[in-house]
Amino acid sequence: MEVEQKPNDLSTQKFPLPVDSEHKATVFRVHSFAPPHMRAFHISWISFFSCFVSTFAAPPLLPIIRDNLNLTSTDIGNAGIAAVSGAVFARVAMGTACDLVGPRLASSSLILLTAPAVFCSSISNSPVSFLLVRFFTGFSLATFVSTQFWMSSMFTARVVGTANGLAGGWGNLGGGATQLIMPLVFSVIRDIGATKFTAWRIAFFIPALFQTLSAYAIFFLGQDMPDGNYSKLHKSGERHKDNFPQVLYHAVTNYRGWILALTYGYCFGVELTVDNIIAQYFYDRFNVNLRTAGMIAASFGLANIFSRPGGGILSDAVAKRFGMRGRLWTLWMVQTIGGLLCVLLGKVGSLGASVAVMLVFSIFCQAACGLTFGVVPFVSRRSLGIISGMTGGGGNVGAVLTQVILFRGSRFSTETGITLMGIMILCCSLPIWLIYFPQWGGMLHGPSSKGTTEEEYYMSEWSSTERNKGFHQASMKFADNSRSERGRRVESAPAPVDQGTPSPGV
Amino acid sequence: MARAALLVSSILLSCLVATSYGATISSLMRTLVVTASPAAGQVLKAGEDKITVTWSYNNTFARGTDSTYKTIKVKLCYAPISQVDRAWRKTVDDLSKDKTCQFNIVTKPYNPSNNTFTWTVERDTPTATYFVRAYAYNSAEEEVGFGQTTDAHKTTNLFEVHAISGRHTSLDISSICFSAFSVVSLFGFFFIEKRKAKSSQQK
Repeated sequence: MEVEQKPNDLSTQKFPLPVDSEHKATVFRVHSFAPPHMRAFHISWISFFSCFVSTFAAPPLLPIIRDNLNLTSTDIGNAGIAAVSGAVFARVAMGTACDLVGPRLASSSLILLTAPAVFCSSISNSPVSFLLVRFFTGFSLATFVSTQFWMSSMFTARVVGTANGLAGGWGNLGGGATQLIMPLVFSVIRDIGATKFTAWRIAFFIPALFQTLSAYAIFFLGQDMPDGNYSKLHKSGERHKDNFPQVLYHAVTNYRGWILALTYGYCFGVELTVDNIIAQYFYDRFNVNLRTAGMIAASFGLANIFSRPGGGILSDAVAKRFGMRGRLWTLWMVQTIGGLLCVLLGKVGSLGASVAVMLVFSIFCQAACGLTFGVVPFVSRRSLGIISGMTGGGGNVGAVLTQVILFRGSRFSTETGITLMGIMILCCSLPIWLIYFPQWGGMLHGPSSKGTTEEEYYMSEWSSTERNKGFHQASMKFADNSRSERGRRVESAPAPVDQGTPSPGV
Repeated sequence: MARAALLVSSILLSCLVATSYGATISSLMRTLVVTASPAAGQVLKAGEDKITVTWSYNNTFARGTDSTYKTIKVKLCYAPISQVDRAWRKTVDDLSKDKTCQFNIVTKPYNPSNNTFTWTVERDTPTATYFVRAYAYNSAEEEVGFGQTTDAHKTTNLFEVHAISGRHTSLDISSICFSAFSVVSLFGFFFIEKRKAKSSQQK
């Protein structure tokens, strides 16, 4: 029984969805908009989608922009690299911000701070200004981290892979949708009467406004946690404000975060690279016209509607039977098959075969992204934000590295570059073998014979002083809820729909 | 996968349509004499300035060489300096793939002499260095002859066009205003958030 009556007594709160002891939803109902869980899902994927639309709004209009701003191929390549490099550090910073102020404020702030860059794309008039607006717009891709963090805060272990995969996948869709949206908006504006060189500038207002509105939706309709927003929870004492240096320390000393950052660079990073180069590849090698090349480019990104969520759902499905070991094995297998298909893509010589291989490759590449974020929520509870940020940032590092080494200048033909990229994927997926959770096992070994529990693993992130103050309680609840990662050997505790008295501290 | 099959088949179909035997520029004879009004190095403003082109058949060639000529297309073409590091303007021998001449000035039926046309440089012509070339087509729409205002290496008698920026004051002001509004509304958010947290604590 609670001794003191808190203003918003948690024991009387009811949720539309069934929840666990942390009030995270235990089911995922995609058609529902019920606050706070499903509403958070829809707001976060739509805002992330808008950021992707803005970041990749320039590529489909490049044939017009390059003539207006007198760009060379080098200028275009550099701008493309700039667009994905800003997010490298922005994603890590976003992870920190989520840990400290919550995903709602962190993401709406970032989206509103990068909206000016999209608005100002309309007034760029030189290669340098073009590069700068693409660079700053690219920072908005850090909303990926807040999306994954938010889903990990709203959904329980059993469905977090699905939630993360759908939110990430449907957001990534923006990179494909923009290849269809921007040319359409451009032609409508031009038909109204604007000249080409003015029409593209006006067209950029559409993604900019969409982005701004989504930030408002996050602020007014969203909620950090099932129980409320961070600022309210901090002030009422239900959630303590964490110590940043400690959060950072526990993130950078966890080797699993670094391995996942590297491997994510070779699924998501590859996806970003392909988004930037694939239209030109088909245009130059197979001499299709620009619109066809754009459609092919769009279909690569549009596969995200089912492929990335599919990866998340698959991760949750194998975890039911095989636990975390199943998640790791599936991640490695899917990413490796993606690498083999990439090698093949560079080798096939006919248009039809290339498109077919590219589509299958996109499915495996994006599924691997979804599978990665089926593992990330379990690496750390205290530093979830920074770990998510590191992994996400690693994705962008992979994109920058791959484009700089393989797709810049004329050292390699594009098809050779694609094959070499496939080989890089194969090599950089091997470290997944090294990931080991003492309480659940890894790819090679089962759980530690010392019988390490989930509580011990997550408690190790808190010092004894902090434990004495009770700061680790949220982690303990999470540890209890994550027992499903042992696989079929352990029956998970039932999750009541409406919790009467909160269970005594675990 | 039905979507993929549809995409693949439509691409293959468009490929079949596009494949056609193209003439090459190296095989064409320079049978036309073309002159244009801009002097070498002159800078023209897109949308304002005019180019007057005259073209005629070069009579030093054998009679009957122009018997197949049916139409003339006069085009504005990129000079090599504007093609550097820009693969979308590349000169390729196969005329069906050549991207040197992307702007049509005029299309007229063939006449051996006294052809002239005045063209206002179109508003969406990009900033670059140009020359003028005329192609002669036969009744099957194949290139059978050409002429240009510059020499074979495309180094002499080139002129420039300065494009419009496409920017308007109203657009500039809108961009700045919306950007400022985004940032200001963010500070508004923080203010509201602080107020809400304080009031919930006082409850």
